[in-house]
Amino acid sequence: MTGTGTGIAMSLADVAGQLESGMTIGIGGWGSRRKPMALVRAILRSGVGDLTVVSYAGPDVGLLVAEGRVRRVVSGFSSLDSIALEPHFRQARQNGTIEFTELDEGMLHWGLLAAAHRLPFLPIRAGLGSDVMRVNSQLRTVRSPYADGEELAAMPALRLDVALIHLNRADRRGNGQYLGPDPYFDDLFCLAAERAFMSCEEVVPTERLLAAGPPQSLLINRAMVHGVVEAPGGAHFTSCVPDYPRDEEFQAEYAASAATPQAWQDFRARYLSGDEDSYRQAVRQFRGRPAAPARTGPP
Amino acid sequence: MAEIVSLAEAVALAVRDGDTVAMEGFTHLIPFAAGHEVIRQRRRDLTLVRMTPDLIYDQLIGAGCVRKLVFSWGGNPGVGSLHRFRDAVEHSWPGPLELEEHSHAGMANRYVAGASGLPFAVLRGYAGTGLMAEGMASVRPITCPFTGEILTAVSALNPDVAIVHAQRADTSGNVQLWGITGVQKEAVLAAERSIVTVEEVVPHLDPRPGSVVLPSWTVSYVAEAAGGSRPSYALGYYERDNDYYVAWDPIARDRDAFRRWLDTEIFGMAETMGGR
Repeated sequence: MTGTGTGIAMSLADVAGQLESGMTIGIGGWGSRRKPMALVRAILRSGVGDLTVVSYAGPDVGLLVAEGRVRRVVSGFSSLDSIALEPHFRQARQNGTIEFTELDEGMLHWGLLAAAHRLPFLPIRAGLGSDVMRVNSQLRTVRSPYADGEELAAMPALRLDVALIHLNRADRRGNGQYLGPDPYFDDLFCLAAERAFMSCEEVVPTERLLAAGPPQSLLINRAMVHGVVEAPGGAHFTSCVPDYPRDEEFQAEYAASAATPQAWQDFRARYLSGDEDSYRQAVRQFRGRPAAPARTGPP
Repeated sequence: MAEIVSLAEAVALAVRDGDTVAMEGFTHLIPFAAGHEVIRQRRRDLTLVRMTPDLIYDQLIGAGCVRKLVFSWGGNPGVGSLHRFRDAVEHSWPGPLELEEHSHAGMANRYVAGASGLPFAVLRGYAGTGLMAEGMASVRPITCPFTGEILTAVSALNPDVAIVHAQRADTSGNVQLWGITGVQKEAVLAAERSIVTVEEVVPHLDPRPGSVVLPSWTVSYVAEAAGGSRPSYALGYYERDNDYYVAWDPIARDRDAFRRWLDTEIFGMAETMGGR
């Protein structure tokens, strides 16, 4: 931690302590990319459950679902990128243990945008003429009040109690910077939420932010977040380029844990039973063992 | 794909009498050279659209090109009123001017809806204002189908022509602008046809922080017009000519002074400015 003055620095456990069972939380990143995994692991260590999770879903949703913390997922997909289907999400869906609001990705974007604008809905064409309208009986349409009279899908605002995101850099005041190729929807998640918490690879003095990237890389400003956590490796095993790529071997290890109940119990005992330091140590042990380099997807 | 032509050709090809024309650029990159060419080619009955009409629209109104103005603010920034605009509203000189006034947020949302191919945009503005009470054709209430809340639906803006100024285009007609940008991208995407004047045409566009890129296929005509946003400014090329804005006030206050300005600065400059 660097810099002086009043900041909004928090610990992972502080953020988890802000959550309550039954909340609707939004998780930034996309698929298996720049996910706030250290914050997700902090939730697993807390007693919080019965969550509604809004996410461009990846292993964030997978871990929470596998641990039975989720009542409903709101998403357009659930993927590990290099492994097409999130295996724990798939298992939960097949077993009917979670509810699922399945949306077109554009609708998810519009729902967050409506919430960010404090509007109750926004009109969109995506979803029309598809089963999205059928499987989401709560969706409605609106008719244009102009001469065209066109009927459009009405996407309700996806208001969030809490948003969790992970950025490459931040200052202690809550200005956050992404250095990879894509901002994803992290700014909208924050704006759609009552409270937003940002973890980052490194907290730097404000004046150093622009040394790392151009002005438009300052995706998050301090008016958008309520707490900052310095969490090196906080997106592991998802990617956080340019700081690190996805840990494909460990992701395959994670995916394999969905094969049987025993495999999951072994995985959580090895990696999720302690604090963040013990997680990192367990990952180092995994990386250090004589690995089979040809690890691929789940069986 | 965008055709690279002279400014005079671009205006001749894209702007027709009676068109709805949006010239955008907020303080920065205001397309003055293109506006002057529209005056020079004596277009008439235009509906001009712009979030912040300033000197360029004062000049077009005074020159008799304009039938209607759709806008959300009008003035000579830091100086005062637009006196050609006032003369048209107060005395119908050189002709009557119909007004359609919006909020800034309403105008921006209308451009976004037009650019998105949606018939309208939803916002909270207008409620309780005189703009709503006047029963404008482009502002209607809409009821949220979830909460029953009554919001405002502004109709999409889809101009016949959008005209903007940018720093650069490449030889394929891809356009790049940076610095303070307004709704140029949305205006171009919403319009049927578009003209982009640029400071220079270069072989390749290099990446710039925060730049807006308009791919060639979104633009109709690109015309090189160095200094084309003077007296406003073009970041990286020249600064704002604040003295010009101050000097405009006495010219605009007096019909004869304005006529002399038209003759010397616009119609007398056809060779150098229009390239005709």
